[in-house]
Amino acid sequence: MRAPPPRVSCPVLLSAVALWCTLALAPAAAPGDGHPGVLLSRQLADAQGLSAGDVVRFSTADSGAGAVAFTVIGIYEPTPDPMQINASKFEARLHLPDLLAMTASPDDLLAAETVDQINVALHDPAGAIEFARHITTRVPGVQARAASSSNRGSVFVVLEQFHLAIAIVTIFASTVFLLALSVMLVDERRETVGVLRLIGLTSRRVLAQVFTEGLLIAVSGSLFGLVLALASESLINRYFQWHYDTALIFVEVTPAVAVQCLLIAVPLGVLASVAASWTLLRRQVLFLARR
Amino acid sequence: MTVVEARGVSRVFPMPAGPVVAVRDVSLRVDAGDYVALCGPSGCGKSTLLHLLGCVDGPTSGTLFFEEHDVATLGDRERSGIRLRRIGFVFQRFFLLPMLSAAENVALPLAEAGVPKPERDARTSELLRYVGLSARADHRPSQLSGGEMQRVAIARALANRPRLLLADEPTGELDQATGEQIAELLGRVNADGTALVIVTHDPAFARRAGRVLTMRDGTIAAEERHR
Repeated sequence: MRAPPPRVSCPVLLSAVALWCTLALAPAAAPGDGHPGVLLSRQLADAQGLSAGDVVRFSTADSGAGAVAFTVIGIYEPTPDPMQINASKFEARLHLPDLLAMTASPDDLLAAETVDQINVALHDPAGAIEFARHITTRVPGVQARAASSSNRGSVFVVLEQFHLAIAIVTIFASTVFLLALSVMLVDERRETVGVLRLIGLTSRRVLAQVFTEGLLIAVSGSLFGLVLALASESLINRYFQWHYDTALIFVEVTPAVAVQCLLIAVPLGVLASVAASWTLLRRQVLFLARR
Repeated sequence: MTVVEARGVSRVFPMPAGPVVAVRDVSLRVDAGDYVALCGPSGCGKSTLLHLLGCVDGPTSGTLFFEEHDVATLGDRERSGIRLRRIGFVFQRFFLLPMLSAAENVALPLAEAGVPKPERDARTSELLRYVGLSARADHRPSQLSGGEMQRVAIARALANRPRLLLADEPTGELDQATGEQIAELLGRVNADGTALVIVTHDPAFARRAGRVLTMRDGTIAAEERHR
């Protein structure tokens, strides 16, 4: 699965530091100016029928006490995360001061100064590890780590190896199946091959013919498979994106994948047909023409 | 001029129950223009001898010469070349390629021999006319009768103007009238200069040949000359 770049439907950039939390929605107050702005996830906005310009009230209490009004200034698509595919995507993004003002305890003077965790989005994600190292050395007591260095990466490494194992088993089984099928198909043409040999075609000539046929069939089959994969790609993605309500891309046939498929499928197809024919051509001409 | 000559050839087939001697120490010479019939009971080695003469199979012992070349010294390419250009085969079951039309079946050996298309087309038309099937050139084997299929097979066998035509029970799957027509046609082929060796159970057909060889237990038991 691949996560596409996050899309924010509102052009307003809240800040370099974005905080999110799940809040209880209180009934909206009457529309009015002067409320702080808030961004809502597309899923939350859809579920509540909200759009930009609406006013919502957030409260940290289940009862809705102490609710604060915010103006929805944009709807955004949450960054797809394969590790949280089943998690609720009802999110809101507030300015940090607004959030602190709403959540800080009046009895704790330092509460407004306390932040447990912040997520930092970098313009260049490749520099995340270096940035984390920099923060850790510069700010004592702060633990910074790049998202890519978390155990999420290792999970996907295992998953990719699992996929590779499945692919190898599938290709091996397909090759055996293809070979068996080729042997049956070639055996059906035993008499034809026998006649050609009787007429005077050499084994090499017949083999060249079979090779050409095998090549054409393998190329056609591979291209058909690719077209099928491309057609399925859209259907599979749409289904799972609908099912999990996410923008994650589950299947993607890239040019590299397509080339890899062709490089594996075409030689295997040709090999299967030639190997099957070779078993036939090794036999005597008369055996071929007899039933 | 000698087309094919077998000198003391034998053919032994290894079988699980023990080796089977199909042809035993047979010597035979077929000259240009000869018409030889091989007769005898089933399993006496007629077809095996025919296959040896046609370079389809090789003898276990003895020597076979085709146009003075020792066949044992030839590789697959040379033997295939002989079958393509010097020998024609006609079988009981016709062995036409079902996906090709009559004309395409006839043209196949010509194409394989590298004959240019205009010449190939002309030769194909000539052969189909020769066997009386000009009107059926575009028909597939499934659309032809048994006699017609055998005529196409004969035309195909004659495509590259072979020196020797070998026919294994060419009338075996045909009714008597059609069989006689095929026998007549083969007689005409021989009269036109092609050496002919046929395997047949039909005494009347065999009598058309100049020499009738009767085989028994893999050997030539009797030879009868008609002309």
